[in-house]
Amino acid sequence: MSLKNKLNRLKPHLTGGSQTESGSNKPELPFIDVPYREKWEQEQVKPFFLEQDYCLIREVKYPLSQQHGRYCFQDFLTAIDLWNQHPISHPLAAEGHRAEDLFFFDTETTGLGGGVGNTIFLLGYASVSGEHLILRQHILPHPGAEVPLYQSFLEKVNYRTLVTYNGKSFDWPQVKTRHTLVRENVPKLPEFGHFDLFHAARRLWKHKLERMKLSIVEKEVLGVERVDDIPGFLAPMIYFDFIERKQPEGMLGIIKHNEIDILSLVTLYTHLTFQLYGIDQKQTRPESFEVGRWFSSLGEKNEATKILTNLTTDGDITSYKAKLILAYQYKKERNWIQARDLFLSVADSGDRQMMIEANLELAKIYEHRLKDYELAINYCQNAISLLTKETNLTKIKKFFSEELLHTRIKRLKQKSAKLLFKE
Amino acid sequence: MNDLKINKKFNENIVTWHTIDKKPAHAVPMPEGIHRLLRQSLHTRGIEQLYTHQNSAFEKVMEGKSVVAVTPTASGKTLCYNLPVIQSILTNPSARALYMFPTKALAQDQKSEINELIEASGAEINSYTYDGDTPANIRQRVRQAGHVVITNPDMLHSAILPHHTKWVSLFENLKFVVIDELHTYRGVFGSHVANVIRRLKRICHYYGSNPVFICTSATIANPLELAETLTEEKMVLIDNNGAPSGTKHFLFYNPPIINKPLNIRRSATLEVRNLAGELLRNKIQTIVFARSRVRVEIILTYLQELVKNQLGAKSIMGYRGGYLPTERRKIEKGLRSGDIYGVVSTNALELGVDIGQLQVCIMTGYPGTISSAWQQAGRAGRRHGEALVIMVASSSPLDQYIIQNPDYFFNKSPETARINPDNLIILIDHMKCAAYELPFKEGEQFGNVGTEELLEYLTEERVLYRNGDKWYWMNDSFPAHNISLRSASQENVIIVDQSDVANVKVIGEMDRFSSMTLLHDEAIYLHQGVQFQVEKLDWEEKKAFVREVDVDYYTDANLAVQLKVLEVDKLQSRDGAEIGYGDVSVRAMATIFKKIKFESHENIGSGPIHLPEEELHTSAAWISLNKSFAEMGHERLEQGLIGAAHALNHISPLFVMADPQDIHVIPQVKADHNEKPTIFFYDRYPGGIGLSEKIHSGMAEVLFETLKMINHCQCHSGCPSCIGTDTASETAKNDAINIIESFLQPSLTDMEV
Repeated sequence: MSLKNKLNRLKPHLTGGSQTESGSNKPELPFIDVPYREKWEQEQVKPFFLEQDYCLIREVKYPLSQQHGRYCFQDFLTAIDLWNQHPISHPLAAEGHRAEDLFFFDTETTGLGGGVGNTIFLLGYASVSGEHLILRQHILPHPGAEVPLYQSFLEKVNYRTLVTYNGKSFDWPQVKTRHTLVRENVPKLPEFGHFDLFHAARRLWKHKLERMKLSIVEKEVLGVERVDDIPGFLAPMIYFDFIERKQPEGMLGIIKHNEIDILSLVTLYTHLTFQLYGIDQKQTRPESFEVGRWFSSLGEKNEATKILTNLTTDGDITSYKAKLILAYQYKKERNWIQARDLFLSVADSGDRQMMIEANLELAKIYEHRLKDYELAINYCQNAISLLTKETNLTKIKKFFSEELLHTRIKRLKQKSAKLLFKE
Repeated sequence: MNDLKINKKFNENIVTWHTIDKKPAHAVPMPEGIHRLLRQSLHTRGIEQLYTHQNSAFEKVMEGKSVVAVTPTASGKTLCYNLPVIQSILTNPSARALYMFPTKALAQDQKSEINELIEASGAEINSYTYDGDTPANIRQRVRQAGHVVITNPDMLHSAILPHHTKWVSLFENLKFVVIDELHTYRGVFGSHVANVIRRLKRICHYYGSNPVFICTSATIANPLELAETLTEEKMVLIDNNGAPSGTKHFLFYNPPIINKPLNIRRSATLEVRNLAGELLRNKIQTIVFARSRVRVEIILTYLQELVKNQLGAKSIMGYRGGYLPTERRKIEKGLRSGDIYGVVSTNALELGVDIGQLQVCIMTGYPGTISSAWQQAGRAGRRHGEALVIMVASSSPLDQYIIQNPDYFFNKSPETARINPDNLIILIDHMKCAAYELPFKEGEQFGNVGTEELLEYLTEERVLYRNGDKWYWMNDSFPAHNISLRSASQENVIIVDQSDVANVKVIGEMDRFSSMTLLHDEAIYLHQGVQFQVEKLDWEEKKAFVREVDVDYYTDANLAVQLKVLEVDKLQSRDGAEIGYGDVSVRAMATIFKKIKFESHENIGSGPIHLPEEELHTSAAWISLNKSFAEMGHERLEQGLIGAAHALNHISPLFVMADPQDIHVIPQVKADHNEKPTIFFYDRYPGGIGLSEKIHSGMAEVLFETLKMINHCQCHSGCPSCIGTDTASETAKNDAINIIESFLQPSLTDMEV
């Protein structure tokens, strides 16, 4: 019996990855034929030949006056100027960079997740050159053409810093993986700096967005409207169809999708910079607060204090949140009095969770620093009574429990008694 | 020991008392070439000489030869690979080694072992385990700086090979691949692992390395053949074991007959309870082996009950697959420290997990293979001192056969381990993984297999894409994630305990096929001696919801099987019978379950099982009668066939070193394909793994031994120990004998094809 017959009978036992409808692929002829070359060229796509193979490269120039979402690309230059003229220390800081040094990068792949077999079929990037933003996309016309793909890509990339969306954990490691397979035949991968805007977006908009996909941030924050966009998850299917039939239509959709992703990175970086510098007119108080909190967690006290202090004047929830962060910052600086004053204010905020936290902190300060055990006991009891009213304990449980508070009170009472005894 | 000899009640049931004398050590001086640091490290551990087998392994490996060392339990096998590996890394720090153990537990164990050796030498050698428990933050370090990477086949399959570009420094410098517990790589699992090794060698070749393979194995009949089939490398066999061993008393215990006419013996489980209970009450560390998970749990329940006042229930624990890893680690530690006196285990503890020395080993029934029995026996008394091994026979035909033929057990060479790396289902799965890892080139071999036709098939299935002379992976899936090395069915059933509504938790998992008979609705599932009742088996979602209960019975399910021959590959006709081999379709359905009372083992109720039929395409061997047996009549013929099949089902695993559930035997009074009375032997894994093929080529021997077993049975007209009790008629035993004799009619030599 032939193997194929056997296999077809065993089909129900074989694991996935199969599709109906069969088609056969004839081996490519040895001369270089680029199917639908004219159609490609209408879309600014040209072949790049290397020995007996080729890849496709699309190049588009945008004037800097071009608008994308809330900003035009010229605004990106403003952002770079800001970093250089008023340097602040931050993971996204472009101090010492020219606009031309940044390299906005995104890929399209045949599958999800890491793994050697997940092929990158589109490497796209944009950067400023003179009066233009130049977008290039290197397209894999068929599996096996990775040498021309990476050769052409590595010839062009001469930048200092990558800007990506989740590229630290996905795109760039995958480029490294695929590059390893052709490393004998193409230049080495250069070392880059890397701004991953995914983490920045999470910091700033976690409070209002449930999911942090680029397409959602674009729509909700950057004001980018996509028309007839092909969702990214269809990319593998469309690519498989493309290598079977060679017709560019489907691929053009993916290319467009990738292009918008990359352009949005420029807008996103611009917008993030303006947020960090606080010069966005439409910046909301919660956004300001997130920026302040971010600086604080980076240990950038001056920036954080400046931004957060500005927020403390209104009596809204954000003002108390800002006070709480500032209070912790003072505590860290061992500035007990200022810390106490801010915790005291938060203890009256009306937000139960923050009030519990503030009361506990006050108890700590009075116990260990200001040595007023009676007051410390008072704050502990406040915290306990607040805690008993709280219904949503899951969020709080991690930090304090009633049991711990009672232990603290017990200890405080002992200390206080000892003190009396001494006196 | 003396107590036992005197105890009359016990003594009456001892059929064989076999003493294995202690064996002195055979050692040779440390080889000249051994690196100074290594010599010093061995010295600090009190090792001044090598056992002969360790020395041979060292020499051969240093000559660049791949080896397979056959070593019994506790013979210092780890030095067989640790010596050459550390020696090579000391002289060439860029050299790398990959160690593969069948389980994570063993890998952990061996890491401490090799690290002690390295630390004592003071050398800068990094050895790490790489498995599902390895924290993400040290994985990168393992990949780049690990001289010795210790892992398991599953991890190699799904995490290392599909990410080989992250392991360049390992693959470029890979000098050694160590495969410990080689004998566990048999059957389906072994066939999978052979293909994982094909993929590993393919990746090594790509990065320009060509590692030496060092395998160690328990005693089996064909270690060399297995090692060579598994690795597709020429191997040198090392079997000059020089390790000493203490005196061992091996007892065969046959429970007394309690029903003469039916030849029914007292249950082995109950006998084991008494024996182990007595030993444990005297605080003698004892390990009890049982053949199934259910047995383990039943015996555990008994024993914990028996000693709970004296030792505390926690001093006796269960150990088997399906427990969570942390639970297992805790038990291993307790055994080593002596906090746990007794352990009841499935064959999971046969492997080299270090649990220290136990004094007594009791087997509940014959473990199924000679080699497995010796492995289990090795758990008692590891190097010095006397040890006692008691095998308590059950009423099953195989157990009774073994216990009545001690020579067979003590003198016959152990079983052959079979694998079939070319099983199409397994092969094609790993071809996919291999293509994901690197494109296939035209004319490339995958191990010993030509690939062209398979690649074309995968191209038609749109998994691969051909461009020029290469085939590329063109699918959005990650193939290794859909392929499990351990189980025939791809998905396991998760067992969810919902006794505490506020705290629902997963307590274990089970392969799909077993769950049809063990986790059906209303089944009693035992876990660490606690009874659970299955409230619902969600077949679509692969989840069994259980709730703790306290009842005095367990459940036992029936599986109805239909079989059809699809294609005949081999056929020999003789006067009396014809034997064939080919592809078949088997349809199995769980039908009913019985509730069986604990102490008396009486049937106290039953219920239906509503699960869909499972279909299996596999290979089978069969034997058909040319004689019509018309004089016997349909009824008797059927009973005779059922009886013969029952006996064959028990004897045939002996010849293929398979777990009894891996090969099934079913009779048909009128087989669909040739209309003759036929008995089929089929592989339980889709596509077959070579078991039925082996039966086909040794049919005469299987029949002959089975006939002998039935003839020797003392019962009058059939009993659980020969032809089973599914047959009710008086004539069944004679008819079964008649049928097997007519199978054997043509001259024996003719039959051995």
